[in-house]
Amino acid sequence: MKFRAVGEAFVILALACLPAIGEGFYFRDKASWQSPIPESELVTVDQARAWGSGAIWVDARPDNEFAADHVPGAFSLNEDRWNELLRQFLPNWSPDKKVVVYCSAQSCNAARDVAKRLRDEAQLKDVFVLKGGWEEWGKKNR
Amino acid sequence: MKTPILTFTLSILLAVAARAELKWEQNIIELHPSAGDKQAVAHFKYENVGKTAVHFKSVKASCGCTATQTQKEVVNPGEKGEVTATFNIGDRTGQQVKTITVQTDDPNPTQATMILTLKANIAQALEIKPTFVYWTSGEEPKTKKISLKAAKEFPAKDITIKSNSQNFESKIVPGKPGEWTVEVTPKDTSHPMGTALLIQTDYPKEAPKSFYVNAQITNPMPPPMLRAPVQSNAPAVKTATPAAIPSPAAR
Repeated sequence: MKFRAVGEAFVILALACLPAIGEGFYFRDKASWQSPIPESELVTVDQARAWGSGAIWVDARPDNEFAADHVPGAFSLNEDRWNELLRQFLPNWSPDKKVVVYCSAQSCNAARDVAKRLRDEAQLKDVFVLKGGWEEWGKKNR
Repeated sequence: MKTPILTFTLSILLAVAARAELKWEQNIIELHPSAGDKQAVAHFKYENVGKTAVHFKSVKASCGCTATQTQKEVVNPGEKGEVTATFNIGDRTGQQVKTITVQTDDPNPTQATMILTLKANIAQALEIKPTFVYWTSGEEPKTKKISLKAAKEFPAKDITIKSNSQNFESKIVPGKPGEWTVEVTPKDTSHPMGTALLIQTDYPKEAPKSFYVNAQITNPMPPPMLRAPVQSNAPAVKTATPAAIPSPAAR
């Protein structure tokens, strides 16, 4: 009786898994290629603003978007012109400053990629990605 | 009673028969641009295998670095075409994954949105770690080391280094074939200044490649009481100054 119940439970579980497996297979091409940014590497607009002059803002968006508008005092640093822009950014950095990188919105990857290069290649510490990006900054500053 | 059932069944059958459907040859394209390439172009080919025309509503790339182009607005039944995605490499390295979201007027929601993926593996010709060395103002001008390693497909045998600042001395120490250590020493750390060290390889001979390493004397660390406050729910803040180097406030 007991074994039968366990067996039935397994059958129900297996049947419940079938649609999930099917969906996973059907939508395999729509899976996200990027893992989410760890919470410890994110900062909200309010937190970053509270850092005041202790924060240095980095705009990872393309040149034309930076030229149109950006966080006051932000430095442009995108991967299109990484070498050139990094040279302009570094003289303004100091070890006591926290770096806040943003791109258009939460879904864009540019901020994550720029933050990663600053950490891995330039070996800067205290580099964060702005939650919600430029879109969120705009909402809080309107 | 029979008429509504028949009408319903017929309408379903007609809807299925009159479906619009774009069949994509590939929805993931992997590219391997050569060192020196400025762009990588992916051609996503499709065919309308349905019975009605398909209209493109939007084609959007996940990154401003990727430009997309459709050959036509409307794809008639049996027609073929392609969506071109041009990825501007810029100064990017490593594996890059960019997505292109294509929206059509296909009544089937699973067919109406298609996500195309462009993967580009950009070879890092010379691995440089770190690309930035710094000293805080007043810090002891100790030598800092940068390691360089050429990729297998980038057979550089020799490198040269140039600096536009007299304040930084740099020396190349060869290691195993294709590996070097660059030692950078500032003459004076009394005030903020910086330089970009230009590293050039002897490969390719006709157009040697250039890389940059940045060296900087940064502003002195402010005393702890003057530093910006950190909110309690903010991410943990670690000190960026190596423990062995006392901050100016402690000296």
